[in-house]
Amino acid sequence: MNRIYWLKNVRLECGYRKENERVTGTITGLFHLLMEDGRITKIVKDGDAIRDDLPVEDAKGLLALPSFIEKHVHLDKTLMGDVWRACTPSSSVIERFENEKRVLPSIATSTCKRAESLLEILLASGSAHIRTHVDIYPEAGLQNLEQVQQALAGYSNRLSSEIVAFAQHGLLRSGSVKLVREALRNGAGIVGAVDPATVDNNIEASLVQLMDLAVEANADVDLHLHDPGHLGTFTMKRLAALTKQAGWEGRVALSHAFGIGDVSREEAYELADILREAGISIVTSVPINRQMPPVDLLHERGVEVSVGNDNIFDVWSPLGNGDILERAGRLAERFKWIDEVSLSRTLGYITGGKTPLDDKGNQVWPKVGDAGSLVLIDASCSAEAVARRSERKAVIYKGNLVSGSLYKQKQSIER
Amino acid sequence: MSQSYWLTNVRLENGFTYNENETITGTETGNYHIKIESGKISSILSVKESITDPDPQHDVHGLLMVPSFKEMHIHIDKTYYGGPWKACMPAINGVKTRIEEEQVLLPELLPTAKVRAEKMLDLLLDFGSTHIRTHCNIDPVIGLKNLEATIQALEGYKDKLTYEIVAFPQHGLLRSDSVRLIREAMKNGANLVGGVDPATIDENIERSLETIMDIAVEHNSDIDVHLHDPDHLGLFTMQRLASLTEDAGWQGRVTVSHASGLADLSVPEATGIAERFSETGISITSTVPIFRTIPIPLLHEKGVKVELGNDSITDHWTPFGIGDNLEKAGRLAERFRMIEERSLAQSLQFITGGVTPLNQDGVKAWPNVGDEANIVLLEASCSAEAVARRAKRAAVIFRGNVVSGSISSFETTGV
Amino acid sequence: MNEAYWLTNVTLESGFVFENERIDRTKTATYNMYIKNGIIKDLQLASTMPLKTDGPVHDAGKLLALPPFKEMHNHLDKTYLGLPWKSCTPVPNLIERLKLEAKELAELAETGQLRAERMLQLLLSGGATHVRTHVNIDPYIGTKNLEEIQRALYRFKGKMTYEIVAFPQHGLLRTNSKGLMRQAMKEGASLVGGLDPGGVDNNIEASLYEMVDLAVEFDADIDIHIHDPGHLGLYTIKKLASLIDEAGWKNRAAISHAFALGDVSIGESNELASELSNLGIAIMSTVPINRVMPPIDSLHEKGVHVALGCDGFYDSWSPFGTGDMLEKAGRLAERYNWKDEYALSQSLQFITGGVKTLDHEGNRLWPKVGNDASMVFVDASCAAEAIARRSTRAAVMVDGNLVYGGLDRESALKSN
Repeated sequence: MNRIYWLKNVRLECGYRKENERVTGTITGLFHLLMEDGRITKIVKDGDAIRDDLPVEDAKGLLALPSFIEKHVHLDKTLMGDVWRACTPSSSVIERFENEKRVLPSIATSTCKRAESLLEILLASGSAHIRTHVDIYPEAGLQNLEQVQQALAGYSNRLSSEIVAFAQHGLLRSGSVKLVREALRNGAGIVGAVDPATVDNNIEASLVQLMDLAVEANADVDLHLHDPGHLGTFTMKRLAALTKQAGWEGRVALSHAFGIGDVSREEAYELADILREAGISIVTSVPINRQMPPVDLLHERGVEVSVGNDNIFDVWSPLGNGDILERAGRLAERFKWIDEVSLSRTLGYITGGKTPLDDKGNQVWPKVGDAGSLVLIDASCSAEAVARRSERKAVIYKGNLVSGSLYKQKQSIER
Repeated sequence: MSQSYWLTNVRLENGFTYNENETITGTETGNYHIKIESGKISSILSVKESITDPDPQHDVHGLLMVPSFKEMHIHIDKTYYGGPWKACMPAINGVKTRIEEEQVLLPELLPTAKVRAEKMLDLLLDFGSTHIRTHCNIDPVIGLKNLEATIQALEGYKDKLTYEIVAFPQHGLLRSDSVRLIREAMKNGANLVGGVDPATIDENIERSLETIMDIAVEHNSDIDVHLHDPDHLGLFTMQRLASLTEDAGWQGRVTVSHASGLADLSVPEATGIAERFSETGISITSTVPIFRTIPIPLLHEKGVKVELGNDSITDHWTPFGIGDNLEKAGRLAERFRMIEERSLAQSLQFITGGVTPLNQDGVKAWPNVGDEANIVLLEASCSAEAVARRAKRAAVIFRGNVVSGSISSFETTGV
Repeated sequence: MNEAYWLTNVTLESGFVFENERIDRTKTATYNMYIKNGIIKDLQLASTMPLKTDGPVHDAGKLLALPPFKEMHNHLDKTYLGLPWKSCTPVPNLIERLKLEAKELAELAETGQLRAERMLQLLLSGGATHVRTHVNIDPYIGTKNLEEIQRALYRFKGKMTYEIVAFPQHGLLRTNSKGLMRQAMKEGASLVGGLDPGGVDNNIEASLYEMVDLAVEFDADIDIHIHDPGHLGLYTIKKLASLIDEAGWKNRAAISHAFALGDVSIGESNELASELSNLGIAIMSTVPINRVMPPIDSLHEKGVHVALGCDGFYDSWSPFGTGDMLEKAGRLAERYNWKDEYALSQSLQFITGGVKTLDHEGNRLWPKVGNDASMVFVDASCAAEAIARRSTRAAVMVDGNLVYGGLDRESALKSN
């Protein structure tokens, strides 16, 4: 695409329509955006004349939303691009670990190719930023990291990414500390680990080691925490304390954090305050086969929550399609966010908090100077996009069309 | 005993004591002389005042005086109490087992029914209850025989307590075809119409409740229904009962015994039915069971009258009864963490039909000249201590007559 | 399509591959099918016999054929599909929702046919060729919704078979709708519906009795919505079971939602499951993710027939839902962690009315010669994959006619 061009006839949200103090709909309008060197440098209302000869692309009234963030995938685990196979039943998580270690190296399609297959799907869904965990353990060395980096390199002008060096088999249990350190020196920007209690069998030592690695490498943290009930919440409290000690507020994430959903509501409130004060954020995949963290409560208390797809057709699950907008819709369904405002606010969970309107209905995105990264959707407003999982027609990253097309658009059949 | 006499040096509660933060620190009491005449309290003098009449005086050396208690839910007609120890049989089929058991057992117990009922009454009296509401089995096997035995026993205690008899179709009003029998019972000495689980026993909520209501209106009598049915089934039955109560204009004349379903509900749900019961003057009697306690403080807060009872002492249903309503009040206080002076003192109201020496604000409310002399004399410094420490009953007085213990020349334990 | 033709290169499931006595994967093979007058008259392995025919031949391009899907719980009359986007108003309980709906009904009745047709097309594109729809029968719109829905269904003749449940959404007793229900049954509704005898009608025994009475009067099956929770719902279901038994209405009743079965202990629901199974009372579920649902796994084990549906969606009740029965089956598999090949393949029966492609030893059950030539063509290697990956539906065939999509693989798959 051109370095500088007009994207015309873009639908943007302008505010909420109210009747007797109740919001009954979203007001949108058509605008023209000037894309220049990857940024939006001008926003003009449709009707205002454009007097220049710059190239023009026509968005034909498609709705623009901030591009999405895929906050939790495993590019190295996915079987996408290879043949179908279901999961093998396993009686314990350890058994599944061993199974995975055996199966992954034996797959015909390379890790890099499989990662690319998944990246293509993630991008088409609207995700222009990916946080991927990459398994680091002695048997695989840094191979997974290298393969995933290779795949990401090929997508570097289509999306941004961050890599978590993920000690899947236990930071202490699998003796992976050294390797994780190396991974951090070789391009992984985040330290990851899993269940200090049930996998590493030593909450304190595991967490301390995790934080040490992070501080040493000046890296963020993203811990997989499945441990249930009060075991989980205790681990979270210890992590919060260590985070504050290290001064790592705002740099730590907890993926899954199931325990928060298991304890009483009073305890969840208390924990939410602790998490907020330690600047710890939560990443959830909105599971339906077990209790999940109370996102509504966390949000109320100011804890940052984001959504990821997690396993997509791999050894752990045969399901998953990489569509982060679908997952946002699932979150809304789970918490019964059925009205216009709640639905449109749900978008924030997949955009790092960016929504076209703030909670009072003022337009806050896009603004001149913002990155030219957006998704063009066949929907009348973001509420509809979330509820109806509307079709992503095109994805633009830093001014470039990286997925879909602005041409050959059929009028959508109402889906 | 003579018709008039004085109790001297009786401890009465005057008010609460406070610290500088206005927190209640204790109960202030004083010693008084109480005149009892023709079954009523005819005079209350402070110890500084002198007694000028020649009537007998009994010095109780500072015993605490509280209103006598009410045993609001007992079955004196079917018991092992007073006979040899006998444990229960396992109830393989729940309530159905017990009903089958009774069809054989009750006729066997009949010869001892009157004597054992009297022994139970002695027990209850000794613990301070001078009012008894007993549910009496009316069923096709035992017919009205248990009722006869109950009335005979109670007649002999006319000078010691007041009583009400509930005609209780234990085997199901409809299920055991006992409608005609209940009507007969009402004509032969039963005072209230009883019932049990319209849903799980009678299997017809509407018809069961309507029948109870019909019989009650027909005989201008109150109602006391056993309701164990759980969660929303219990809630629904209670709501139907409230509606029928309104339709019949029977406000203030209906009691639900147990109301176990309330233990399963959320706070908003329990609040809803509490408000309904308060509006329709439906009261609840509870045995404060350990495992499925109903939210008594919530009910009380919403204006529902809650009273307590022992249900059974030792019989084929359970061997654990004690018969002591002061202990029951203490259990309630423990269960709901009523640990400080005021709430402990106030918990007495649940066993006295609402009367306490001091009211909620610490103002003297009882005794008053003219009140019936229904009194328990306790070894305690205040009612809070009496409830918490399950104070020893020194004497129980009913309409001026000492019906348990003694007020003449005894050793005090030096309160 | 032609009256008689050969459909070649159809992939069908042909068996299981066992490893260590465990089913490891599904075997498939390519077949040629002779279809005449909408029936499969012949089925041959493509490789065994070279096809010699002068008649028309259509190539299925090795697409996988699966039994057609059934949407067993929809409300064609409620959806906003076809109208501009509109979100919902949250309400604290069912009665409040009914009040809100009542306000809209008359206005919506005008566009009933249009909206229902949109929904039918959506269901068809997902692979459903049968729909059981509930239609509001109440004093607010009388039987108008029924008329509109029937017009829409008529337009889908040959594409979608249907059953219409006369559904007293606002309460049979609460709105005194027995007369209207009778009218609806005379005007073409084929099942008698009902709703929460306890929570809405406030008289469980009378409400159930009236409903069963109507069913017997019109010799119709029953499908009642029971949302009532906990032991209230359990009691209602038990009462219904005893009335069904008394009326001799075995295999003629269904309960939609039946949430209560998930609220009570597993012992209690298993006990009731045996009774439901004996009386042939089926459970229709929408696999909700925002509340406890009935224990479909144990109900199924006890022999209770369970079928799935999407419920009403894109309407005043919920903005979510896609009408995709395959997605619904996938959600069920996700909910119960059915991840291995066999478990995934077994989830298909919940959207096909119990039809399975293979039995547990891998012998083919469907299709067989003599079956209707009705199937869904999927871009997948086996049913397990179709469910797990929510594979693309390339085409749908009903009685030998292509009613959606195309068999030209390239263009068919692109159209999605």
